[in-house]
Amino acid sequence: MSKVIEVKNLVKDYENFRALKGISFEVEEGEIFGLIGPNAAGKTTTLRIIATLIQPTNGEAKVFNYNVVKDPEKVREKISYLPEEAGAYKNLSGKEYLDFIARFYAKDKNEIKEILTRGLELAKLGEKITNKVSTYSKGMTRRLLIARALMAKPKLAILDEPTSGLDVIISREIREIIKNFAQQGTTVLLSSHNMLEVEFLCDRIALIDKGEIKEIGTPEQLKEEYNAKNIEDVFIKAVK
Amino acid sequence: MNNFFNIFKKEIKELLTKQMLLSLAFMVMLFGLMGSFINNAKEQAQDQLLEPTRLAVLNLDNSAYSKEILTKLTKNNIEIVEIKEENIEKAIEESQLKESMSLLVIPKGFEDGIKKFQGSEIEIYSIVKDLGLKESTSFASISSIISYLNQEINKDFIKSAFEEKEPENIINPIKTKEFVVVKDKIAPGNPATLQSLSMANSTIIPILLMLSIMYAGTMIITSMGLEKENKTLETLLTLPVKRESIILGKMAGAIVVALLMAVVYIGGFNYYMSSFTPPIEGGTNLMQTLGLVMTSFDYLLLGISLFLTILVALSICMILGMFSQDIKSAQGMQFPIILLVMIPYFLLTFQSLETMPMGLKIFLYLIPFSHPFIASKVLIFNNYSIVIAGIIYLIIFAALTMYLAIRLFNTDKVLTAKASFGKLKFRKTKNDRS
Repeated sequence: MSKVIEVKNLVKDYENFRALKGISFEVEEGEIFGLIGPNAAGKTTTLRIIATLIQPTNGEAKVFNYNVVKDPEKVREKISYLPEEAGAYKNLSGKEYLDFIARFYAKDKNEIKEILTRGLELAKLGEKITNKVSTYSKGMTRRLLIARALMAKPKLAILDEPTSGLDVIISREIREIIKNFAQQGTTVLLSSHNMLEVEFLCDRIALIDKGEIKEIGTPEQLKEEYNAKNIEDVFIKAVK
Repeated sequence: MNNFFNIFKKEIKELLTKQMLLSLAFMVMLFGLMGSFINNAKEQAQDQLLEPTRLAVLNLDNSAYSKEILTKLTKNNIEIVEIKEENIEKAIEESQLKESMSLLVIPKGFEDGIKKFQGSEIEIYSIVKDLGLKESTSFASISSIISYLNQEINKDFIKSAFEEKEPENIINPIKTKEFVVVKDKIAPGNPATLQSLSMANSTIIPILLMLSIMYAGTMIITSMGLEKENKTLETLLTLPVKRESIILGKMAGAIVVALLMAVVYIGGFNYYMSSFTPPIEGGTNLMQTLGLVMTSFDYLLLGISLFLTILVALSICMILGMFSQDIKSAQGMQFPIILLVMIPYFLLTFQSLETMPMGLKIFLYLIPFSHPFIASKVLIFNNYSIVIAGIIYLIIFAALTMYLAIRLFNTDKVLTAKASFGKLKFRKTKNDRS
């Protein structure tokens, strides 16, 4: 399997605060890779660097062998990023929003239609898809955004806390969608502080705390290594 | 190009909200109504001028001369209502009953006073019930009645003294014929008429310019504020689209919406203003004779100057918008732009460029937003060098500010820059740390 993401000694400083202290990891094609850690651990900063939103202070990050600093446009062609606190344009309807995004990925009208159809299926908003986004609940908006992130079948989906703040039913639906897409060939890099979610979804995980990666491995490997019942216990033992 | 149009279309949809369209429609309606009210009041006042003015007169003199004077008034579209009551309060009541808004009291000894060159004091009681346009026209006509009476009395005196002379030539011995000279062109007329005729250049065009620039800035800052408030910017920046296309798409959307707003506003304003200023007969000919007409080439230069200024405003506002956190903070950041647009607008409204001190002139030239205002003032006088120099300055300024906006948009400052307590800082957000 080829490497989709290669991160080497990544450092990110904000004024006097070092958010990342030289982290390294790799993600293989077709994997669901999870970054797990508490708040302010450096998860979002890592995802933002890989998504070409911010630049590292030091180190290197590559996506499909394209450097995120030198070739950001090439990287953007391969990825789809869902920020944790993302929103959609409130004055557009859900359908208009999906159509707007589909046009950036499609090469012709048929492809726009194809991507849009997939987006509508993923969003599962029924007739409400023609309502303005401003009328949507948090769960509906998140479903729309997940649909937006996955409908173009990106080579790499970067999802920051994909189920954050959602109820159990919608969270489970979203996890199923992510898993299905990974099975169809999309590599997924996600962040979460929901250990159960990560255990259910991820092929491999990296435990991150205070800007450092403490451990990397499959959930099973890590549980065995730390003699823990679940990933939550692994994490607590790893950061001690 | 497709990505540009996609963003452009989205911007229009986002900026042209129902609320904005409603407020535009309301503004047009408001101007239309105000214009109609004023036109209506003016028409009524004009109709009133055609109708004979009813004037109550208490003639305490009752002499042949005072009667003769009053007869002259009746020939001048004035209907005299004779009042019998000699008590003033009762006379006023009677005047009101007889629907006259004014009462003229000719005192005893009026004829004697006039004929002995001692003068005489006529009392005028104006019955005020309202202070509207219609009423003020009626009161103004009383003053003209008195002027008319004085003129007639003067003519009587002159005729009796110089039987063969034309009284008009003695009262106003100096006759005038005015001409206006603009460069090498001369035309009959006066500067006041010229000023009224050039109202479009002196009032409407500067307001249109000011609104276009300010609205464009507002639109782009609002757009950036919306992106940040709705948390859509991060997604937009990770889409497979060049940052230049995002900036240009946003700018194009802002220009279109701003121009639409400015044109609608100015259309309403123009209608409202036209209700105050009636068309001047032969005005177009006067302007044409003097060469004071904007040609298509002039409009092209003005258009280029305005377009470049809007680009500068958009680029600066785009940069300021990057420091916003939401619409509220974004709108607060427009202040420096509004100030820089208002300064040339007011300076050039109240002072001409020619008479301005050199220091002030240089200050004006340095403000990029001054140039379309200057162009609107000087193009009519075919002063092209100053306009073309302004356009060159604007091209350089626009290129620099656009380059800076694109550079900043290509860095993480677009996400991490924030304004705090009026100062612009680059700060980390809660998300940046996680």
